[in-house]
Amino acid sequence: MKMSNWMFLSVFAFAAGCGRSSVVQESDTKVDSGSSQYLAAVEPEGALPVGEARESVKDDQAVTLVGVIGGSSEPFVDGLAAFTIVDAKVPYCSADEGCPTPWDYCCTQDQVKGNIATVKIVDDAGKPVTADARKMLNVKELSTVVVQGTARRDDQGNLTVAASKVFVRPSK
Amino acid sequence: MLLPWEYGVRNLARRPVRTALTLVALATVVMLVFVVVGFIRGLEQSLSVSGDEDVVLVYSVNSEENIENSSIAARTPSLLTASLDGTWKRFGVAHVSPELYLGTRVKTQDDNGGLGLVRGVTRNAPLVRRGVKLIAGDWPGQGEVMVGRLASAKLGNRAEAMTIGQSVEFEGRRWMISGQFSAGGAAYESEIWCNLADFQTATKRQDLSLVAMLLASEASPAEVELFCKERIDLELRAIRETDYYATLQQHYKPVRLLAWLVVVLVSAAGVFAGLNMMYGAVAGRIREIATLQTIGFRRRAILLSLIQEGVLLAAAASLLSGLIALTMFNGMAVRFTMGAFTLRIDSVCILVGCSVGLLLGVLGTLPPAFKALRESVAISLKAI
Repeated sequence: MKMSNWMFLSVFAFAAGCGRSSVVQESDTKVDSGSSQYLAAVEPEGALPVGEARESVKDDQAVTLVGVIGGSSEPFVDGLAAFTIVDAKVPYCSADEGCPTPWDYCCTQDQVKGNIATVKIVDDAGKPVTADARKMLNVKELSTVVVQGTARRDDQGNLTVAASKVFVRPSK
Repeated sequence: MLLPWEYGVRNLARRPVRTALTLVALATVVMLVFVVVGFIRGLEQSLSVSGDEDVVLVYSVNSEENIENSSIAARTPSLLTASLDGTWKRFGVAHVSPELYLGTRVKTQDDNGGLGLVRGVTRNAPLVRRGVKLIAGDWPGQGEVMVGRLASAKLGNRAEAMTIGQSVEFEGRRWMISGQFSAGGAAYESEIWCNLADFQTATKRQDLSLVAMLLASEASPAEVELFCKERIDLELRAIRETDYYATLQQHYKPVRLLAWLVVVLVSAAGVFAGLNMMYGAVAGRIREIATLQTIGFRRRAILLSLIQEGVLLAAAASLLSGLIALTMFNGMAVRFTMGAFTLRIDSVCILVGCSVGLLLGVLGTLPPAFKALRESVAISLKAI
């Protein structure tokens, strides 16, 4: 075989190897294909912590929030892309304490009340997306997310964000 | 050549006392297996039929999994119906049932009473709890209660103490029994139901324990759950009723595992009892077995005949136990922490019980039979 043919085969094998590698990476992330429209590629700037947002944000205001998924033992809503986030300043049990569900903030529940918001991912019609947020966004309890959307406030001070974009901060 | 079938059957009748004692021992073991498996099946059945796929329970997020500890605002039902579109409505009536539910000491006229489960309900309750049927008497009015089919069992009382016209006492008041209800084996059957407002007055409470909502076919429990997450100030959680009872199933998993362990232990004890009896039975027949070998029967044929005897006896014991279990234990009420349920001697129970019985017959016969057949014919013929 000529030298040029060997070179061609080597380049082909290298290219094929790279291609397979990228496919594996994609499948490893386990993100639903339909979620790309809700996932932000870059982190939005000027995100407000949840506690600050609860004090300053008004109803129907466009808002960017940052928080940690948690606040209860089951922060995700089964069947809908919705979850609760807590201000990152609120401490939770560290890994070495052996708490099986640190995201429920069991020791700091009194601080959670003023630092929690509900996030629901909505479609273009404003309806909550019927998907599991964990699979759709590849997030889990204690993931830090930055959400962009419209704030909904009520007289009791509850804050809900109808989010159109979510950025998931890579875990440390 | 095999020994004739009649030989084994007649052998059983040759020693009637020994055969009867073995039969009683085997029947007792199989009966214990029936009762324990019936207990497991009853518990499983009670939890699996409790709950409705279309019903969502809304209760306090602070009560963990125990609705008895839940306390939510009395305005919650109206808030839920006003905020959610998914509630089933018929003739303008939303199928929402506000309930106050707690465990309290209930006295009957018979005794000092026991811990009963009382649920204060409105007339909306049967719209949501679709399995509940009033089987006798009337819906409770003021100062009245209706009792579930197993309420007396839960209290550890005679059924006669909780018939219509009798009275019970709880929360410092005497309540007349106006009716009796069934719920298809569901957990409510061990409860006492009364008027919600009456119960709130008696307990000096204005709150509720839970709200049960029947959802329309197009609605999803997730919408109710989302509402609870959004209204953080209300501190509510929502769960599909069937999921709630599924968590109870998980809660009682150790109990069920323990019960299955009891089945294994009882069966093992039965095998040893069977072995003991069969060793005695075969030991007295060593000369007879040697004689059979002398006249030309092969060891395999003699072994089969001995197994036939053991299996015949075990099958008779299984049938006897099955008959007693079906006529006397099936449907018997059992008190339990979550209420009461009935022993369920169903096809699975019969299958397990009879299989254990037949296994006892085979396993109990094999070791003594092998021991008897191992001896040489000459020595065995001289055995006393």
